[in-house]
Amino acid sequence: MTRSDIVRRICSATTLLGTLTLLLCVLWGSPAAAGTKTVLVLGTDISDTNTLDPQRQFVYSAPITEHAIYETLITMTPGDYKDAKPLLATKWETVDNGAGLVFHLRPNVKFVTGNPLTAEDVKFTFERLKYLKDDASALAENIARVEVVDPLTAKVVLVDKAQPLLPFLIAPNFGIVDSKVVREQGGLNTPDADKNDKATAFLDQRSVGTGPYTLTRWARSTEIEMVRNPNYWRQPAAFERVLVRHIPDSATQVLQLKRGDIDAALNLTFDQLNSLKGTAGITIVKGQSLDFMYVAFTSSAALSQPLSNKVARQALMYAIDYDGIIKGLIGGDAIRPASFIPVGLGGSTTDLTREIGYRQDLDKARALLAQAGLPNGFSFDLSYGSGADVGGVSYEVVAQKLQADLARVKIQANLKPMEQGNLRTAYRKGDLAATITFWNPDAMDPSLWADPTVERVAKRVRWEPAPAIVALAKQADAEPNPQKRDALYVQFQKLLIDQANLCVLFQPVYSHAIRDSITGYQLTAAGWQVDLYDVKPR
Amino acid sequence: MTRGYVVARIAVTGVMALAATLVVFLVAHFVPVDPIQTQLGDLASSKPEIVARYRAHWGLDKPLWEQYLIFLQKLSRGDLGQSIATRRPVLEDIKQYAPASFELATVAIILAFSIGIPLGVLAAIKRDSWLDHVARAVSLVGVSAPTFWLAFIALALFYGGLEIAPSPGRLDAGAVPPPQVTGLYLIDSLLAGDFHTLASTFAHLLLPSIVLAATTTGVITRTTRVSMLDTLDQDYIRTARAKGVLEQAVRFRHALRNALIPIFTLGGVAYAQLLSGAVMTETIFGFPGMGRYAFQSAVILDFPAISGITLVVGLTYLLVNLAVDLSYALIDPRVVRR
Repeated sequence: MTRSDIVRRICSATTLLGTLTLLLCVLWGSPAAAGTKTVLVLGTDISDTNTLDPQRQFVYSAPITEHAIYETLITMTPGDYKDAKPLLATKWETVDNGAGLVFHLRPNVKFVTGNPLTAEDVKFTFERLKYLKDDASALAENIARVEVVDPLTAKVVLVDKAQPLLPFLIAPNFGIVDSKVVREQGGLNTPDADKNDKATAFLDQRSVGTGPYTLTRWARSTEIEMVRNPNYWRQPAAFERVLVRHIPDSATQVLQLKRGDIDAALNLTFDQLNSLKGTAGITIVKGQSLDFMYVAFTSSAALSQPLSNKVARQALMYAIDYDGIIKGLIGGDAIRPASFIPVGLGGSTTDLTREIGYRQDLDKARALLAQAGLPNGFSFDLSYGSGADVGGVSYEVVAQKLQADLARVKIQANLKPMEQGNLRTAYRKGDLAATITFWNPDAMDPSLWADPTVERVAKRVRWEPAPAIVALAKQADAEPNPQKRDALYVQFQKLLIDQANLCVLFQPVYSHAIRDSITGYQLTAAGWQVDLYDVKPR
Repeated sequence: MTRGYVVARIAVTGVMALAATLVVFLVAHFVPVDPIQTQLGDLASSKPEIVARYRAHWGLDKPLWEQYLIFLQKLSRGDLGQSIATRRPVLEDIKQYAPASFELATVAIILAFSIGIPLGVLAAIKRDSWLDHVARAVSLVGVSAPTFWLAFIALALFYGGLEIAPSPGRLDAGAVPPPQVTGLYLIDSLLAGDFHTLASTFAHLLLPSIVLAATTTGVITRTTRVSMLDTLDQDYIRTARAKGVLEQAVRFRHALRNALIPIFTLGGVAYAQLLSGAVMTETIFGFPGMGRYAFQSAVILDFPAISGITLVVGLTYLLVNLAVDLSYALIDPRVVRR
């Protein structure tokens, strides 16, 4: 055989192989089976899910799964983020003059492993979360220890009784695990857990909770599979199987939803949701979030001389067309809090925003600029993350709108798009003059918004809050009477508004698109997007 | 070409891959991004104890030179370190993501060669005919159409519109992958005798590999055409024809064999690119591959993952180039004599 024969044969073989490949694909490839009534398929981006260990996970996409496979002592229902509801605990009370909380556990609850739920599991879970010193451990910082009073009673001893604990306990990170099994797998609830705990690899593939579903498979950036928990203490879950399918591209989610390959699309943009309106068999489900997009303006003269002037910052606030952002950019699917506490918590309401919040008033903005000694306006750098969005609207679009609004009072915003990691690093260091960014809650207590504004967020905008405003935040945090507490937070917000470092632009309504084959799909702002137990086949 | 030459090439390959990791390591550390800040939540990032534990855990509290030495030390034990984002060994991540990319890129390059070479040859032989125009139009579209656009149009048309393509992903929703031997579903399902999964894998590979092959096909078609035209104008081809050699033998034995050399060089580079750079195709078609893993690691400055990926991608490029160099001997006997 000559070399040219070899070459010719290689060419022929590759051609033949390529053709065969094509034929095989076309002849044997069959479209995917649509999710039947026994299987629920969710389409979402789960690329950030890096663990399913409930005490370690602290990303956006994991809680929807965690909430379905683990349960917390208490929970919250969609729309009501003030009153905790019983879940694994039937009742609870404060003891020792507020220094401790006693939880009475629901009897006859079994883990998916078959072991009964006891106070020992509560102790193990909470202490493991604290001692892992991982991302989520900050939530358990106020827990000194957990005491087992009896098999169905656990007492949580607080570090600082002035700081609330209950709102934290709804977070999926407090999902109770079967301590017996986790210990067998190398789990620890001792101070050396950060170095010696070995249970995460096990918990990434199997769940040991009391939730309505149990984890059977997690293929990273591909799929999470759960099946019905046979030992569940309430009515069994409606679906035999739940698949959380990784679909990073939102346009692909739309296609798959239309084809019926997924029952819900979780990451659609404003335009995509609009395009689905009126599509037969598809419904848009909405839920008010507690997240918001805001602009942080520095107080540092080194970063921006004009912005270091409070009156100039107030002029900025009066120049922004808030209603235009909400109606024009988000189609009205958002509300706006007066300041840094979202509507729904801490006495924050849309009425309060109308009463004490900023609104567009160009004459007032110009007057304030003149008062600040800047009648001809000024310029500053406005930084934002490129390629990211909140509530379906990108930072770029919001930045352009702000630039146009501010130009009407001769303030020039120089747009500075930055890569997200870069922006976060620079912002947290306090190196930016003005930053458009985002806030989402770790738990459901107004203190989690109020305290950062006078602590870490204050540092980012180079603001040294007066002792009186810091004391007011702490006083509100510790106030046991709900009405008085709300009033204190309102007073606190008025001071923040006057300070004019933080400008909340909108608090979005989140939307998922679902097929009509399912029902009971309700969005929550509590952190897990949807309670899958409530979702049922129609 | 001697055995010594091959050994030397492999040794140089290893050294160059290591040098690439050093460059990437240094460049990554000069970028003003703190990987801890990109990973930790807002609340945790304000807790010095948690931040300190994170820095210590990933060795970020050590001087840069020491971090690199630790990386090399671990590398000598076959350990690429632990990814900050995925929190598991980088090698495990690569073992998971590389097969998807390898399978996709291999099918794509086979398609590109299968279509590109015959089309290029035909275009050269039938120069200025309708066939040549078609070939040039096809290659122009392949080269100029942006991958993200092509990917989405293909998906919207064949999956969303005509409903003849399967859903994005390596397999159907809920389908259990074949028992892992190589990580390549085509091979693993064949080894397991699971023909249903084999068919499903083929079906799921079809559209993304066509999309991925488009650009390469265009380039190969163009290069083949130009190379063939160039070769067909050579004196030795005229001589062969004057001697009465059959036209078919002139074209394939004398012209194509010589024309293939630049095509193989190009194909090698293209294959290596397909292996590591299919971010958009992987994103739109939901393929958990190396391109997307590399992109995500780079965005959050996941140093161990970036170094590991660089090593693997660097080695891939170098090994593919080595294979191309060695294959010259098969095509061009003069290389052996040199």
